[in-house]
Amino acid sequence: MRSLIVLVTLSVVCLSAPTIAQEGHPLKGSWLGTWGPSKIHSNDILVIMNWDGKTISGMINPGTDNIPIKNATLNPEGWLVHLEAETKDKSGPITYVIDGKIEGLAFHNRSITGTWKGRGESGAFKISRQ
Amino acid sequence: MKNLRTLLTCTGAVLLLASTTGIAHHALSAKFDDKKPTTLTGVVTLVDWRNPHVHVFLNVKDTKGEVLNWAVEIESPIDLETNGWNRDTLQPGDQVTVRGIRARNDSRQVWGNSIMLSASGRQVLKFTPKLPPEPLEKRPTPRWADSKQPRLGPIPGGVQGYWGYPTTTVLQEGGANVKMDQWGLLANIADAGKVAPMQPWALALYRNRQSRFLQDDPTYLNCKPPGGPRQFQLPYGVQFVEDRERQRVFVLIGGGNSNYRIIYLDGRTHAGQVGGDDDNPLYYGRSVGKWVGDVLEVDTRGFNEDFWFTNGGLPHTEQLRLVEKFSRPDFDTLKYEVTVEDTGAYTRPWSSGWTLHWVAGEELPRHLCQENRP
Repeated sequence: MRSLIVLVTLSVVCLSAPTIAQEGHPLKGSWLGTWGPSKIHSNDILVIMNWDGKTISGMINPGTDNIPIKNATLNPEGWLVHLEAETKDKSGPITYVIDGKIEGLAFHNRSITGTWKGRGESGAFKISRQ
Repeated sequence: MKNLRTLLTCTGAVLLLASTTGIAHHALSAKFDDKKPTTLTGVVTLVDWRNPHVHVFLNVKDTKGEVLNWAVEIESPIDLETNGWNRDTLQPGDQVTVRGIRARNDSRQVWGNSIMLSASGRQVLKFTPKLPPEPLEKRPTPRWADSKQPRLGPIPGGVQGYWGYPTTTVLQEGGANVKMDQWGLLANIADAGKVAPMQPWALALYRNRQSRFLQDDPTYLNCKPPGGPRQFQLPYGVQFVEDRERQRVFVLIGGGNSNYRIIYLDGRTHAGQVGGDDDNPLYYGRSVGKWVGDVLEVDTRGFNEDFWFTNGGLPHTEQLRLVEKFSRPDFDTLKYEVTVEDTGAYTRPWSSGWTLHWVAGEELPRHLCQENRP
């Protein structure tokens, strides 16, 4: 009986958890996720993006790597996202290119999934809006 | 065993309500499909008399003889009471026949258009929307004795009332004449681009919201305040409280979960309010106004992006600026005009306007949104 009550309570709590609706420009906000060559060897990534009415700007890993986003586009036909970010190390400039798609557009915690490439590497990319 | 049965019955009712991911006081079309008319006959098990909509639970026998509990959703307590209902109109044990439309997700939920008591054949629910009160004669604009400015609100100790029954409940650019239902759902989604001059991303987002039948509306889903022009287009009206001593006007929002907005008339500007305080944008923004002749002109900026500023889901950004004009051409009419400037979501400023009616002798209805409650 007790386990039934617990089960039922959990079901009710899960089903009644509120979903948060869409807000302004779909890319604006803080996004957290991973990018890496594989699911096992992935690195955390934080992306901050903003929209001023004409341009999407932003930064990858602010405070740590500080990779500014130099070029960003959102194609509303399919909600395709293209980001280009540039940094440099001892070997010279590095350009990261990220291509993905917004999933769960209607929700606050929507995500962008796709791929990244740069520094001769590539891999999967997934971030979720915080 | 009896306790277990009670527990399961209550749980079933809760799960039935919860199964729609919490659409609250929604556009009907968000949850129900008018192309799925249905008739149920069963026994009332529970009347849940709460905001935003009352639910009547019925035990209904299906074609296999199995008894299933259905949720019949009907209007709000406020609207039902104005139509002569109260929480005791139906009692558990009453056998009724319900006509309505089924939920889009085919769960055991119905929007009830009519409810008839089987025993007597008496129609207990035949909802008739309350019509705007017709004034007996055209009365002049009430004015302050000293300044001769129009009064927007009730007179303390005098004539009470509030503003309701907007002539339109949807926002679109003046002259657009795009066909929508009262909740802002387009009759033809191909007309989306005619509603307002949206940027491509905003138009695509608007179409997305429309294609989801407005079910993501945060005003109903999460009880978010109806900022912007929407506050003048919801059920239950608005009230103006003019505090002349402190040079401000309070706008009480009947459909906004008992929240309010302040319009400052003391000559302050947005400096130090917007720009200096960007980390705290508001649902109703920051409003400063002044009287220009008989018109109260209000400039509002500093909105956040956590809400829909129109029925129907037109997008906006934090760059939203509204220029609103309020006037009272006669005692029973409030004229509202708004110009929307949002370089983040629109390609140019655009305007619209409508009127509201004075509801004499009544207090602003007390409506409370209950989050995550269908």
